[in-house]
Amino acid sequence: MISLSGVEKSFKDGAREIQVLRGVDLRVEEGEMAAILGPSGSGKSTLLHVAGGLDRDYRGEVSVAGKPLDRLGVRELARLRNETIGFVFQSFNLLPGLSALENVMLPGMLRTPDGEPPGAIRVRAMEVLERVGLLSKALAPPARLSGGERQRVAIARALFARPRVLLADEPTGNLDAFTGDEITRLFAEMARGGMAVLVVTHEERISRAAGRVLHLREGRLS
Amino acid sequence: MSARGLFWIARARLRADRRGVLLDAAAACVGGAALVFFLALGLGVSAAARRMFPADARLVEVIPPVVSLRGVLGGEKLDDLAVGRLARIPGVSAAWPKLMLKVPVAAPQAPPGLAQSWPPGMTLQIPVLGVPPAMVADDVGGERFEDPGPGGTIPVVLSRRLLEVYEKTIAPAWNLPRIPPGVSLVGLEMPVRIGLSIVPGKGEPKVTPARVRLIGLSDRVPMYVMAVPLGTARRLHAEYGKEGIYTQVTLLASRPDDVPAVAATVHRMGFDVDEGDQAAAERVGAVVGVTAGALVLLSVVMCVLAALAIARSLSASVAGRVREIAVLQALGATPSDVRWVVLLEGGMIGLSGGVAGTFLAALVSLAVDAVALSLLPDFPFRPETFFAFPPWLPFLGAAVPVLAALAGALAPAAAAARVEPARTLS
Repeated sequence: MISLSGVEKSFKDGAREIQVLRGVDLRVEEGEMAAILGPSGSGKSTLLHVAGGLDRDYRGEVSVAGKPLDRLGVRELARLRNETIGFVFQSFNLLPGLSALENVMLPGMLRTPDGEPPGAIRVRAMEVLERVGLLSKALAPPARLSGGERQRVAIARALFARPRVLLADEPTGNLDAFTGDEITRLFAEMARGGMAVLVVTHEERISRAAGRVLHLREGRLS
Repeated sequence: MSARGLFWIARARLRADRRGVLLDAAAACVGGAALVFFLALGLGVSAAARRMFPADARLVEVIPPVVSLRGVLGGEKLDDLAVGRLARIPGVSAAWPKLMLKVPVAAPQAPPGLAQSWPPGMTLQIPVLGVPPAMVADDVGGERFEDPGPGGTIPVVLSRRLLEVYEKTIAPAWNLPRIPPGVSLVGLEMPVRIGLSIVPGKGEPKVTPARVRLIGLSDRVPMYVMAVPLGTARRLHAEYGKEGIYTQVTLLASRPDDVPAVAATVHRMGFDVDEGDQAAAERVGAVVGVTAGALVLLSVVMCVLAALAIARSLSASVAGRVREIAVLQALGATPSDVRWVVLLEGGMIGLSGGVAGTFLAALVSLAVDAVALSLLPDFPFRPETFFAFPPWLPFLGAAVPVLAALAGALAPAAAAARVEPARTLS
């Protein structure tokens, strides 16, 4: 489902080039939850952005759901992100001007003109919110939600498009232990449902729920 | 992304920043309101000036030269030969000779039914001008404007402006009754005496009673004369042994653009052009046009300032929400989608400001009209409103702020499209 082969990525810091990823090979299959552990600054987020098609400046081969990302145009890549990939971020990244429900509706509203009508998008967003236990907070703005609730809204948003791949960047980083465990269980449940889940984290506890744990050190996976 | 999605996101964004949006929309509103107000004022005052000076831009008034050596030798007379030559000037579609009647005409009594508005003992001396029927054909409502022959009722046409002057100046000054609203004077008949003059020694030995009938009002008839068919003027001249040289020839140019060339040819032929009314109309038109133009320019500057305010505000907004923009891209928006969202935000701000500005301008114009009409005295050609709102003006009032806002949103939209999601979300 997710395939990275010989991926290399470097950043320029003035005249100096910093190699972040050095020939990373990774496969995450459908129904699998993989966790990548590594300290802050080890390149975990960069790896996730490359896998999710947010960062195209890399060497090597990346494909998602059988589609090689380097051969996709800007629109096709955006469509792949919209329909096939779900993102969950550490800082939730909910749009503050929208309610919880509207945040969940976003991927549906971003769809190409052949997408669902707004009424159907709204109904489905409510269903997804119900699935993460937040139907009662549907109309609340993110500012009125707790950290755990915000992350559940972010997960609902990621799940809205029924993606085949879920990429999570430190999803429990801003949550207390109890809420973090709850979110981790949710991810494991999604993987059992057939999704390919790739979580990057520096927390050991999330790796306990993952079927496979990898370590990113000095730009290499082990 | 679908247009629906773009609108939805842009609208949601605007809702999230109501205060900023209100300030930007207020800037667009002021620009739009100023534009609509000053344009409506310029158009309204122009219309009033046209009523006051109804000069047809295609007319050239030809008169005999004031000073001419050839005139002494017998040239440049406005006779039928000259009229024929004038009619053949390239760009002239009609030549209408006018003949000032040298036989005095006076009305010693009021038209039937209007005796109460006729000062006792008054005899009204009436200057009479003979004009060809074609010149007033559009103003006589299908009536025959032709010489009826000796003893017949003579059809006459008056200046439309004369009635306004009567209503606003003559009637109040002489304490005469005004023409009731909705009542038309067309059709009115009046007895006159041809050959009678109130000036001693100017009357004719033979005075003939006649009747005149008003069959229309025209802007082509000079204000203080009564126009009769040219045939009638010729007949009376012949009857009273007067010279039949035309006093003036009105040329109708095919297009207003032809007028300068026609006037130049007229001068080369040895005649003069009477630019009295035309020049006054042009002067008034120029003053109104320049003033309105300056005010419209000022309002365009206000729209540009509104565009700059919106540009600054949207730039700050985009800079403050790069993370949101990156999230939109992570969820499936392309850089082009993001650019459109910001442009739509600008467009919606401009539209709401423009619509509000148009309404504001309409309200202010109503208030100005009310104040002006209550303060200004009643004078001839005083307009009922100083503003004109043609159907296209509200659209312009909404469109210009939208364009200004879109122009202001261009740079912020380009900046938004350049946001790199990977770098921003790291």
